[in-house]
Amino acid sequence: MSDNHQEHEHMSIAKYFIVFGILFVGTIVTYVVALTDLDGMFFAGANTLVALAIAFFKMMCVILFFMHVYWSPKLIKLSAVASFFWLAIMFAYTMQDYLTRGTGVFGQ
Amino acid sequence: MSTHSDTHEHHHAPGLQHQFEDMKQQEESVSIGMWMFLVQEIMFFGGLFTVYLVFRSKYPMAFAAGSNHLDAFLGGLNTLVLIVSSLTMALTVYYAQKGNRNMQVILIVLTMIFGATFLGVKAIEYADKYNHGLVPVTGLNKKIKEEKKGEHGVGHETGHEKPCYDVDHNAPVVEHPNPKGEFLWTDCSLAKLGLDTNTLTTDEKNGYFSNEQIDADKFRDKVRIFFWIYFVMTGLHALHMIIGLGLMAWLGWKAFRNTYSAEYYMPVEMSGLYWHFVDIVWIFLFPLLYLLGRHFLH
Amino acid sequence: MQTQEAIVQGLAAEPKLNYLTNGWTIKSWLLTKDHKRIAIMYLISVSVFFFMGGLYAGAIRLELLTPASDLLESGTYNKVFTQHGILMIFFFLIPSIPAILGNFLLPLMIGAKDLALPRINLLSLYIYWAGGALVLFALMQGGIDTGWTFYAPYSTTFSNTYVMLVGLGIFINGFSSILTGLNFIVTIHTMRAPGMTWFRLPLFVWAHYATSLVMILGTPVIAITILLLALERVGKIGIFDPSIGGDPILFQHLFWFYSHPAVYIMILPGMGVISELISNFSRKKIFGYEFIAFSSIAIAVFGFLVWGHHMFISGQSMYAGLVFSFLTMVVAVPSAIKVFNWTATLYKGSITFDTPMLYALGFLGLFLIGGLTGLFLGAMGLTVHLTDTYFIVAHFHYVMVGGQVIAYLGGIHYWWPKMTGKMYSEFWGKISAMLIFVGFNLTFFPQFILGYLGMPRRYASYPEELQVLNIFSTAGASVLGVGLLMPVVYLGHSLIFGKAAGDNPWMLPGLEWRTASPPPTENFEKMPVVTWEAYEFGEENGLDLEGARKRDAEAIPTT
Repeated sequence: MSDNHQEHEHMSIAKYFIVFGILFVGTIVTYVVALTDLDGMFFAGANTLVALAIAFFKMMCVILFFMHVYWSPKLIKLSAVASFFWLAIMFAYTMQDYLTRGTGVFGQ
Repeated sequence: MSTHSDTHEHHHAPGLQHQFEDMKQQEESVSIGMWMFLVQEIMFFGGLFTVYLVFRSKYPMAFAAGSNHLDAFLGGLNTLVLIVSSLTMALTVYYAQKGNRNMQVILIVLTMIFGATFLGVKAIEYADKYNHGLVPVTGLNKKIKEEKKGEHGVGHETGHEKPCYDVDHNAPVVEHPNPKGEFLWTDCSLAKLGLDTNTLTTDEKNGYFSNEQIDADKFRDKVRIFFWIYFVMTGLHALHMIIGLGLMAWLGWKAFRNTYSAEYYMPVEMSGLYWHFVDIVWIFLFPLLYLLGRHFLH
Repeated sequence: MQTQEAIVQGLAAEPKLNYLTNGWTIKSWLLTKDHKRIAIMYLISVSVFFFMGGLYAGAIRLELLTPASDLLESGTYNKVFTQHGILMIFFFLIPSIPAILGNFLLPLMIGAKDLALPRINLLSLYIYWAGGALVLFALMQGGIDTGWTFYAPYSTTFSNTYVMLVGLGIFINGFSSILTGLNFIVTIHTMRAPGMTWFRLPLFVWAHYATSLVMILGTPVIAITILLLALERVGKIGIFDPSIGGDPILFQHLFWFYSHPAVYIMILPGMGVISELISNFSRKKIFGYEFIAFSSIAIAVFGFLVWGHHMFISGQSMYAGLVFSFLTMVVAVPSAIKVFNWTATLYKGSITFDTPMLYALGFLGLFLIGGLTGLFLGAMGLTVHLTDTYFIVAHFHYVMVGGQVIAYLGGIHYWWPKMTGKMYSEFWGKISAMLIFVGFNLTFFPQFILGYLGMPRRYASYPEELQVLNIFSTAGASVLGVGLLMPVVYLGHSLIFGKAAGDNPWMLPGLEWRTASPPPTENFEKMPVVTWEAYEFGEENGLDLEGARKRDAEAIPTT
């Protein structure tokens, strides 16, 4: 018995172009915002935060819509989330060493 | 040998492998397998992002300085090129599911063209670094002989006569002699900026200065770390792009031979997952490497 | 009752074409997609590496008979212990149970025809051979002396040995591990027979699922670490050099991010085997099935949070040390839960002291000691005294050898009749198990004392007053060596002269025992439909061992 797809099409061509448009605009915004001094306006690190936030948003668009994770089984969604969680472990636990170095007293 | 052929007519779907009962099981397996592969790829690049994170948090000004000498326009262009290639890749999967051979092949070729464009732009960028003495490994930069004294009034110029933070960004670029192809860096303006605005980290306070003066050699060492991370991360990414192009070539050939249809299109979808993953890595690399210190340049 | 029928049918299977006799050419082996043949090829390759690692161990113990560095001078000794570590860890312990027993048994235990991705399985084997060949070549060229942990800056800057080549071999071998893990996860998700729900899976399968998670999430990080090491050796940028702003501890963070979870790769499969052995040889349903299953996953996950406990004295911040120390205490809890559950399974069980059970009981005691000493080392105050001493060496040998290797041997003996269709000599099996147990303890227990007294690890010479304990240790190593060589002899002997084992020689309920020994290439004649829970024993399920043994003696002719 041949396979039985519930949905043959996840998205129409038009929708793919819309997502593309969002990614395109996101890139331009990243570039322009990087030229303005948000660090001076808000707090140190604001530029980096905004850049990463936009990058994260773009990544979600690619993952959910181009990689079809929006329509994927839970296991796939869990794999995608878990891998970022593991990245976070690697970053956080490494940085907790670097950020707490000093004379061995908390916060110094 | 097949276990359920006795119960109903066994329609062999194209591409069904012997260990699977039906196409659905095969598709599910291949999909989970590919995602497990992507999970390990994420951890692979993750190690490099960790190195980036550690050094950037230690030496933010050196990183910003190095970043400002990357061509953000070309980087941004490359980002757009990759996003377009992701679009063409997603559409390839769409047409593979429809069994439309011609559109598949056209879109795969387009994806490859954009991928090759990306690599071409990267090659231009790398060549530019080579020419300006910004490759962090000694010997891998363009070797420029010293001018003889007396000609053009240029002597044994090493670029260190002036304090390194007085570099004028609007002045014409002077070619410094570089007989050994070493890493050259003279722009310490951001170290001075950090000092003036008192925003240096502890590591920076120790790392950029000697005897309370900006030490050009020490600052250069930190900027060198930035460029090394740039080359390793974008180099590894470019390697994945090349592998992706190879994958596309294989896929294009199979698509040309009308292998894919609504019943059997998973190889296209899985190749698409790989391609999108490589795109996502670049989506993060671009702001983290190219756009760090742009807000300092006014 | 279906269960009973299935078991009786299994008993009466006639000799047919099995996976060993299905094709006699070299090509049919080297290009096979059959997970069972791949497992056998892994068995042979892994045994070769085990033997070589053992030779290096012998050299170490011989050198340490005397306090002076007389048999091997320091530079050579550095190479010997490094190579012992690299061969044993990367080419023996990490692949051992997953690549051999896991590959062979996983499809059988879940009722599948093969793994989900057989060609990836074969690729995994090829990659293992490639990495191994490269490392062997490097060893023949002159070897490596950085310690298996190849810390920067020695490995990046100062070592004149074949760091790049060995690094490349390990890098390549890592992909073998990743592909095996990938394959297992897919298989367990998609290839289970009808009725084989998650909580009917044998705990061996759960253990391999957890191991596979670690393989996929951790191994790429050692790959990138080796890449960075190689780039440092070539480019000499200095990212691990403090004088230009780098940090040698960064290397250690990246290294141990994988290498700590790697030790869980080197114990979880063993725990899976032990769950099978304890339950089956006490003929009692395992106590706390869900606890053991979830503990396996918990160990895999928590194992990623504790790597800093290898770096307490390295120079990392004290605060980070505190966090890692606390989490190390936490990660011991799931392992302890398992030990309690195994012990509870034994209670009021109908225990038979067959060879595999001897190994399982040995594991319980030895893993307990290894695990507890690990807790000692997780406490920051104590670890300052004990780091880089023989206490550490004793600790990790108790968990790795006393744990995984003992479990591996137990598993090999347990499933030997299934894999080969032959029974080995029970007498020699028991002798060998006892020699290994005695030899192991005599080798490594004195090392705890030596470490406490301050004998540093990785030194070819030591103070004279420590010689007596070292002599005990070497004597133990000789006994252990003999004990480990014996299975090669009697298991090999059984292949030719062994009694034909029936399909289910021990009358056990597992799905792998309900097909022929050795199994046919497609594993089962008919796709099984699972209607029973895991570990269901008892006469009502047709598993009357006494009665069956009597019938056996009458029905099946003994050769």
